[in-house]
Amino acid sequence: MSIVANYLNRDSLVHRLNPLTKLLWSLWVMGLSFLFGDLWVLTGLFFSVVGVALIARMLREMLPVFKGIFFFALFFWVFQVFFISEGQPLLTLIPGNPGLRITDRGIFIATAMGFRLMVIASSFPVLLATTQVKDMVVVLVEKLKIPYNYAFMFITSLRFIPTFMNEMEQIIQAQCSRAHRLDSRNFVTRFFSICPLAIPLMITSVKKAEQMAISMETRGFGIGKRTYLHRHDFSRTDWLVSIGLVLLAFSVVIMNQMGILN
Amino acid sequence: MIQVEELTFAYPNGLPVLENLSFEIKSGEFVALIGQNGAGKTTLLKQFNGLLKPTRGMVRIDGMDTRKSTTGLLAQKVGFLFQNPDHQIFLPTVAQEIGFGPANLGCSREEIDKRVREAAVQVGLEPYLNDNPLFLSKGQRQRVAFASLLSMRPQVMVLDEPTTGQDYREGIEIMEMVKALHRQGHTIIFVTHDMELVARYAERVIVLSQGRILMDDTCRRVFYQPDVLRRTNLFPSQIPCLVQRFDRYQEEFGMPLSVEEFYKAITDSGGEEYVHCS
Repeated sequence: MSIVANYLNRDSLVHRLNPLTKLLWSLWVMGLSFLFGDLWVLTGLFFSVVGVALIARMLREMLPVFKGIFFFALFFWVFQVFFISEGQPLLTLIPGNPGLRITDRGIFIATAMGFRLMVIASSFPVLLATTQVKDMVVVLVEKLKIPYNYAFMFITSLRFIPTFMNEMEQIIQAQCSRAHRLDSRNFVTRFFSICPLAIPLMITSVKKAEQMAISMETRGFGIGKRTYLHRHDFSRTDWLVSIGLVLLAFSVVIMNQMGILN
Repeated sequence: MIQVEELTFAYPNGLPVLENLSFEIKSGEFVALIGQNGAGKTTLLKQFNGLLKPTRGMVRIDGMDTRKSTTGLLAQKVGFLFQNPDHQIFLPTVAQEIGFGPANLGCSREEIDKRVREAAVQVGLEPYLNDNPLFLSKGQRQRVAFASLLSMRPQVMVLDEPTTGQDYREGIEIMEMVKALHRQGHTIIFVTHDMELVARYAERVIVLSQGRILMDDTCRRVFYQPDVLRRTNLFPSQIPCLVQRFDRYQEEFGMPLSVEEFYKAITDSGGEEYVHCS
C-alpha cells in the first residue's frame, strides 16, 4: 500500500512533466483500455505503462506493484476462463458437464480482460510515484477549478495512509504484548481478533483528525482565497506529449474503424 | 533474568540500530535505560518481549531464547508498558480491559476476576472498574494499561517512558507503584528522559549512545561522571550537578543523589552552622 501512494524522487523526463500531462496520460491509457478489447492493443498498452516506469527510472521500485497486480489479474483470469463457453473446447474439468470447460476463445478473452485489469490498475501507481500529490492538487485547483476543500480532502486521505500504517504497527505490538493472537486458523476467531486492533485505530484516527483540524484552523485554513508558492506552467515537452497522446488516440480509433487493427 | 549476548539489530534495509550489546539484568534489579532520542532505547526494550528479534546474537528471558519464542508466550514473563495507552484500550469497561490479558492466557473466569481486582487495587483503579476507560484522564488511562499488564503477572516490567505527558504528581504516583512492585521482587527496566526520576528510583543505569552501551553502572557512579554523560547530551540530576560545582569540597561531600543525602553530607562535613544560618 505504501508503495502505491509514495512519491519516488527521481530526476527524469516523466517527473519533470506537468502533473496535468501525466493525469492526461493516465486517463488516456485507461480510456483506450476500455475502448479496445483486443488482446494485442491491451498488451501494448500495458507495456507502454511499464515503458513509462522505465523512462521515469523507477522500474525496479515499481516491480513489486506490477507483481501484485499480476497475481490479482491471474486470480481474475482463472475465474473468468471457465465462464466463456464460445469457441473450440480445449479442456473439460468434469467430463460431460459443459459448464466447466476451457475454450480457445475463452483463453483469448480472459487474457485480454486480465491485461485490461493490469493496465487500469498499474497506470495510477506510476502516476502517483512520479507526481507529488501537492503538485497534483495545485494543478487540479488552479487549472481544472476543482474546489480546494475537495482537493484538500483527497491529498489528506493519501497523506494519512503511512501515518495509519505506523499507528497500526504500534497497536499490533501493544496487543501482542498482552498475549493477543492474530494467527488463528479458525476464520471466525480470526475475524474477531481484528477488533482489538480496529477499535484503537479508529479512536486514535479520529483524535488525529481532530488535532489536525485544530492545527489547520490555527494556521488560517479556510479564511479566504489561497495563493500558491509554486507555479506549474505547461512546457513545450508537455504540449508535445499531450498533442502526441491525443493524435495517437485518434489514429488508433480511426485505424480500428477502418478495420486495420483487426 | 535477562541475558543479552552480542546483540546486533537492524531494521529491514537499514543500518544497525543496536551494535554488539552484551549485558545481564538479574532478577529484582531496578534499571534505567537512558540516552538521546534515536539512541536505540525503545528498540532494545522491544527485544525483551520478542516484539523485535535479534539480527545477530541472542536475548534470553529466564533461559528462554526470544528467537524461538513468541511475544504471546513471553508476555507471561515480561510486561511491556507502551508510551501511549490509547494504542491498546478497546473494551467498554476498565475491568474488561484489565481482564483481556489473563483471558488470552486461558485463565478461568474466577481467576480473571481475582486478577482484575488485585491489579485494580494495586494501581488505585478500584472505583473505576465499571467505567469506560476512554473517558478517564490520560494518567488514569496509563494506569489501566499498567493494570492490564499486572493482571498477567509478569516477573519483569518493561516501561517505555511511563510518565510522559503527565504532571509531576501523576508521574511520581506511577513511579511509586513501580517501586512497590520492585519491593515485591519484580525486575524493573524503564526508559525515561527525566533524570530526577532516574536519581530517585534507579539502582542501575545503562547509558546508550548510537546503539552502543556507553556506561553501565550504579546510578551514583554514572551521574558523577559528567564528561561521559555530556557526550550523549545528557546532564545528571540537579544534586550531582550542584555538588560537582563545589570543586574543593567534592571529596568531603561524597556522591549524594538526593536533597536528603546532600543535606547529610553538608552537616557531616562540619557545615551544619552554615545550613542553619541559611
